[in-house]
Amino acid sequence: MAFLLRRLVFYLAAFIAAATINFFLPRLMPGDPIQIMFAGAGSNLSMENLNALKLTFGFIDAPMGQQYLAYLQSVFTGDLGRSIKYFPLPVTELLARALVWTVGLVGSATIVSFILGTLLGVMAAWRRGTRFDAVVSLLAILSSSVPAVVISLTMLFVFGYRLGWFPNGYAADPMLDPAFSWPYIASVLHHGALPMLTLVFVLTGGFAVTMRNNMINLLGEDYIVMGRAKGLSENRVMLWYAARNALLPTVSSLAISIGTILSGSLVTEVVFNYPGLGNTLYQAILARDYPVIQGQLLIMTAAMLASNFVVDLSYVLLDPRLKKA
Amino acid sequence: MSVLSVRNLSIDYVGSETVFHAVRDVSFDIAPGEFFGLAGESGCGKSTIAFAISRLHRPPALIRSGSRILVDGRDVLELDEAELRSFRWREVAMVFQSAMNSLNPVLTIEDQFHDVLNTHTGMSRSAARQRASELLGLVDIPADRLNAYPHQLSGGMRQRIVIAICLALNPKLLIMDEATTALDVVVQREILQRIHQLRQKLGFSVLFITHDLALMVQMSDRIGIMLEGELVEIGTAQAIYHAPQHDYTRKLWASLPRLTGEQIAEGAGQ
Amino acid sequence: MRLLSQLLQNKKAMVGVVILVLIILVAIFAPVLSQYSPTQRVGRPHQPPSLEHWLGTTRLGHDVFTRLVYGARVSLAVGFGAGLMIALIGTVLGIIAGYKGGVVDEVINFFTNLVLVIPNLPLLLVLAAFIGQASPPVIAVILGLTSWAWGVRVTRSETLSIRQRDYVKSAEMLGEPGWRIMTFEIFPNLISIVGINFIGSVIFAVISEATLEFLGLGDPNTVSWGIMLYNAQNASALSVGAWWDLLSPCFALALLGLGLALINFAIDEVANPRLRTGGMLGRWTRMVRAGEGKL
Repeated sequence: MAFLLRRLVFYLAAFIAAATINFFLPRLMPGDPIQIMFAGAGSNLSMENLNALKLTFGFIDAPMGQQYLAYLQSVFTGDLGRSIKYFPLPVTELLARALVWTVGLVGSATIVSFILGTLLGVMAAWRRGTRFDAVVSLLAILSSSVPAVVISLTMLFVFGYRLGWFPNGYAADPMLDPAFSWPYIASVLHHGALPMLTLVFVLTGGFAVTMRNNMINLLGEDYIVMGRAKGLSENRVMLWYAARNALLPTVSSLAISIGTILSGSLVTEVVFNYPGLGNTLYQAILARDYPVIQGQLLIMTAAMLASNFVVDLSYVLLDPRLKKA
Repeated sequence: MSVLSVRNLSIDYVGSETVFHAVRDVSFDIAPGEFFGLAGESGCGKSTIAFAISRLHRPPALIRSGSRILVDGRDVLELDEAELRSFRWREVAMVFQSAMNSLNPVLTIEDQFHDVLNTHTGMSRSAARQRASELLGLVDIPADRLNAYPHQLSGGMRQRIVIAICLALNPKLLIMDEATTALDVVVQREILQRIHQLRQKLGFSVLFITHDLALMVQMSDRIGIMLEGELVEIGTAQAIYHAPQHDYTRKLWASLPRLTGEQIAEGAGQ
Repeated sequence: MRLLSQLLQNKKAMVGVVILVLIILVAIFAPVLSQYSPTQRVGRPHQPPSLEHWLGTTRLGHDVFTRLVYGARVSLAVGFGAGLMIALIGTVLGIIAGYKGGVVDEVINFFTNLVLVIPNLPLLLVLAAFIGQASPPVIAVILGLTSWAWGVRVTRSETLSIRQRDYVKSAEMLGEPGWRIMTFEIFPNLISIVGINFIGSVIFAVISEATLEFLGLGDPNTVSWGIMLYNAQNASALSVGAWWDLLSPCFALALLGLGLALINFAIDEVANPRLRTGGMLGRWTRMVRAGEGKL
């Protein structure tokens, strides 16, 4: 319990840190911060709308400290301003829509890769020194050293353009109306397949190597030998004695790799024109839509922190040594 | 018939260039109910022999052909996968050096009884729990400990639990591989006394491996002395103590610190 | 050094080193390998590979092969430059945190965890968005200043375990100053971790630079593999069928990444022999097959 509380406090601090970065960035760049932030507004925004926006981001006529507090207040009341490009769409709404797509794509890809990678790692470690191990290790190296952008583009080229098995972009057929109808859902699945496969390929290698190394590091332990000496089946020892214990450091490294997962998915979304958080950020950067850019950083950080917390929870559940009554 | 009959056992560790002969042509027997001690310095091959009896070795270890390990007349080295798994723990059980590490950290004590009972006898959860309580009773541990995890118990308790798990299937031979070396002397004594009582009650033999010759003489019926992979002397405990035949055995005795208070310099040359 | 000789015997390391050296040589000898200039129009747009243009041309009529070999310079420079910075900061902070302990450790740890938990690429993107177009040196500096966190963690935990060893304690008792202990007692034992960290950082820097440029945040006048991706993407190379325009930099990046990763994997294997894959059981397997023994 104390462990989880400490983590929560830390995450709060991290979130504030992200907000602080947001606050200082425009003010640290050469030039007038207001100019920089709202240059994209041009003649689109009326004076009063522009002023409201300035208020949200703390550009008030007051010392820096107060400006900072004003901004924090906006953030913690859920006011992230409005998109300049899509005015008057609130940033929160824009990002919420994108978040759904990202969670769907990245969430499912991560779960699949974790399960696949971990299983491969377990088997490679158990069959250490055999050809299976060598092949898995090599594929894992490939998957984690080739940039996600390269994998995405190659997959798009081979399966999208050359073979034509999958569409070349977007979340669903633009002709269809979003609804819980079978044609729409089928279209979503069809469009999501390639980006998801790409992400799975990008992520699996890392999980496999981590699990393999963690397993190998504990294969010499006495309880493993005792498990075999008890006459238990190879599978039982491999899963319940070895893998179950190796899972602990693997899960904790999952937390660290969430950042990599977010980065990889960002690029994948851009390549496949998938309307998730990553692509939204990219489009916002092209349009210099700073309110959205800043809001993006906060949401992504929040997503990171939330995932980290989920991992912390799983760790507490998995390790009996942490389960103090 | 002997419970254990080791004949011409040779075990090598195969490297890419060289081969290390860990055990060289070792033969000995253990009778039913006998307490047999195997003594020698670290690296002399005693643990290697212990592991081989249940065929627990991994590459690059290699049990050379021509070796035979007979448990109750059956050659363990000829068993296939399924027979081997069935044989393990039923006929031969093993206690390792540090009980800290012998128990799986993520399973409860009850689980660790259940998996072996279920695998060998198909026992249900409740039957297994019953049996586990009985076994814990043999080593004076309250049954409520079944729901605990290993890290919640003391070192001595863990060692006793491991012994209890060892006796789950009434094995004929219990191998104790430096099982008390890491414990302090008092706990060590308690455990060994307990083993003695259990032996009288259940009738199993013990293969006791240690480098502590003095301890071994107190406990064993017969003793084997190992040096660099070879069994250099074998005899009753009394014979080994009073009339050691082999040079090395004599050296082992001579190098034991005495409780008589002589300075080493004075006692030299004796 | 023993580590080095063991590495040289490792097959993976050798393949990785060969790949790396090859790419470095290509970068150095770029002008020799191609008679064209990478920034001049030397052919018709989007010509497929031919004898004149080994990898075809871009939409602007530049020779792809030329841009590829010149681009290697930038990718290698930024990769190793930023990688060095990242590894340096990470190692120094990690050793200090691990050795000093106490408040210093708490503070460094706190900031490290903070940086670790804020997603890397989005942060880089936001920074780059505010900066505008970032030339390769600028990208290298940004990467160096934001990506050291993971290295600190790994180095710190190794330092913590080394710290307890006898030779460190005896050096302390002899009154050696802290910085000397850290440099001469602790650091030499961290060589393999530092090596892995360094190469990992280089891989990271290469990938990040290419990604940032691909997303349009680099200086479009640079000749680098990332910018080649950016140009190809903007020219809709895939849709118009000019696959060479896009796949050449893809292949180059993949190759560099592979080479570096192989070296890294090899260092890990040499430092931690249990992790080795394949090959050591040849003799054992042969003996088992010949019936000379069993498990």
